[in-house]
Amino acid sequence: MDIGKLQRLPSEDLSAITSRERRKFLRLGLTITGLYLGGTVLSLVSARRAEAAGGPVPATGQYPYNPHYTMVLREARCVDCERCKEACKTTNHVPDYGYRTTILERRRDLAEGTYETIFMPVLCNHCNRPPCVRVCPTTATWKDKKTGIVMMKPSRCIGCKTCMTACPYNARYFQEEKRAIDKCDFCWQARLSKGETTTACAAACPADVRIFGNLADPKSRVYQLLHTPDTIVWVLRPEVGALPNVFYTNA
Amino acid sequence: MKIINIISLAIVALLCAGVVLAAEEKQGAAQPYDENTYGPAAPIIWEKPVKAVVFSHKTHTMGAGLGCDSCHGGLFEQESGAAEKKPDFTMDKIYKGGYCGACHDGQTAFAAKTRCAACHIGARGLKRLRQAESDRTAPAASH
Ligand code: HEC
Ligand code: HEC
Ligand code: HEC
Repeated sequence: MDIGKLQRLPSEDLSAITSRERRKFLRLGLTITGLYLGGTVLSLVSARRAEAAGGPVPATGQYPYNPHYTMVLREARCVDCERCKEACKTTNHVPDYGYRTTILERRRDLAEGTYETIFMPVLCNHCNRPPCVRVCPTTATWKDKKTGIVMMKPSRCIGCKTCMTACPYNARYFQEEKRAIDKCDFCWQARLSKGETTTACAAACPADVRIFGNLADPKSRVYQLLHTPDTIVWVLRPEVGALPNVFYTNA
Repeated sequence: MKIINIISLAIVALLCAGVVLAAEEKQGAAQPYDENTYGPAAPIIWEKPVKAVVFSHKTHTMGAGLGCDSCHGGLFEQESGAAEKKPDFTMDKIYKGGYCGACHDGQTAFAAKTRCAACHIGARGLKRLRQAESDRTAPAASH
């Protein structure tokens, strides 16, 4: 078989491969990138490399949802004033022992024994392939077909906490009062469903760190930030392959 | 012509800074921090408008060689928290050359629109400082 020739062939329709089949390979750390000769030959790339090849931002026109809700975090501007946290707590009735969003702090060593501090806002990444949804035994959490928001219905939750363990981003907590898992819904319940256009945290940020919007709209700020020339965009824990919709940049 | 002037000025400034720093380093090693010479040792902390920004006299006087009047000649009062009471203690004003922005403009010192977390210690940093403070002032009996 001439691999070189094969590589130049157009791939056959990948939709013939079930997501179950894909997952089997993902578990081995492999992503299916092509299908040839009637399905007898698969092209596989290590999941990490497949990610690196295209970058974390999906190609224009390839957003599965519309509106495709996204948050872009301009990390270097975060000063950890935590107004976002406070706004989130009051808007979504988050108790003191839990959080839907928080700020992490990292230290980066610089030359000559000095260091710099980096504040890193984190929240649910509303992944395109959410590991939490996959493991929920009662469909209490799901990926909304229209907006892509990872939703949560407390009345269906049995509190098994499997989703908490599955989440690569530590974005879920058990809410004692509801006896259910609680998490960020991009303020769907509290704001978006009532006609607001942005989340409470983004609205409260005085440093213009949190930009929320529709990635499927090329005129949106999130789209523009993710498609600015000469900038780096990254996501957290890309190796998990969850395809997050929360992006980080310093643009 | 103008450009040449600026460059030679910059070189002079760099040389001066080098001399000052070298002198400070020697002093710093030999002497403990003297509040009468260099200003209060305790950090100045502001919590408004945002949590929290910290200012250290030590890095500015002993470290950068600045005299008291470069700040206490109109920019800041000698009273911790005075600036916090003014409505224009904001980044906008700082970017326009007010308060810290008088020097943190990218020439005299690093620009205020860069390295945000150099001045901002955040809610986390504030909590740590307060903790350290209460540890220090805690009665000896607790040890
Ligand atoms: C780079 C600027 C700068 C320099 C130089 C400087 N200071 Fe200050 N100083 C400040 C600021 C800022 C404050 C707090 C003012 C405020 O909160 O409004 C302050 C406050 C003070 C206070 C009040 C502290 C308190 O707890 O109330 C004293 C005393 C003081 N300075 C003395 C000095 C002396 C003495 C020198 C020279 C050795 C000096 N400062 C040099 C910026 C400076
Ligand atoms: C009179 C000039 C002046 C003013 C006013 C001033 N600074 Fe500075 N600052 C300097 C210089 C000079 C340096 C050292 C050079 C550098 O780091 O760019 C410095 C350094 C710093 C550093 C870095 C220290 C380090 O360890 O790297 C911080 C943080 C800082 N200043 C905070 C502030 C804050 C906050 C204010 C306002 C409350 C302020 N400065 C006002 C001149 C000034
Ligand atoms: C030279 C020191 C310094 C640097 C650098 C700095 N700040 Fe500030 N900042 C201050 C001071 C002083 C205040 C007023 C005191 C307070 O709010 O605690 C302030 C206040 C703020 C505020 C609240 C007031 C307002 O303007 O809305 C925000 C937001 C802010 N800074 C964001 C930033 C961001 C983002 C950066 C980096 C791009 C940054 N700061 C860099 C010193 C600094």
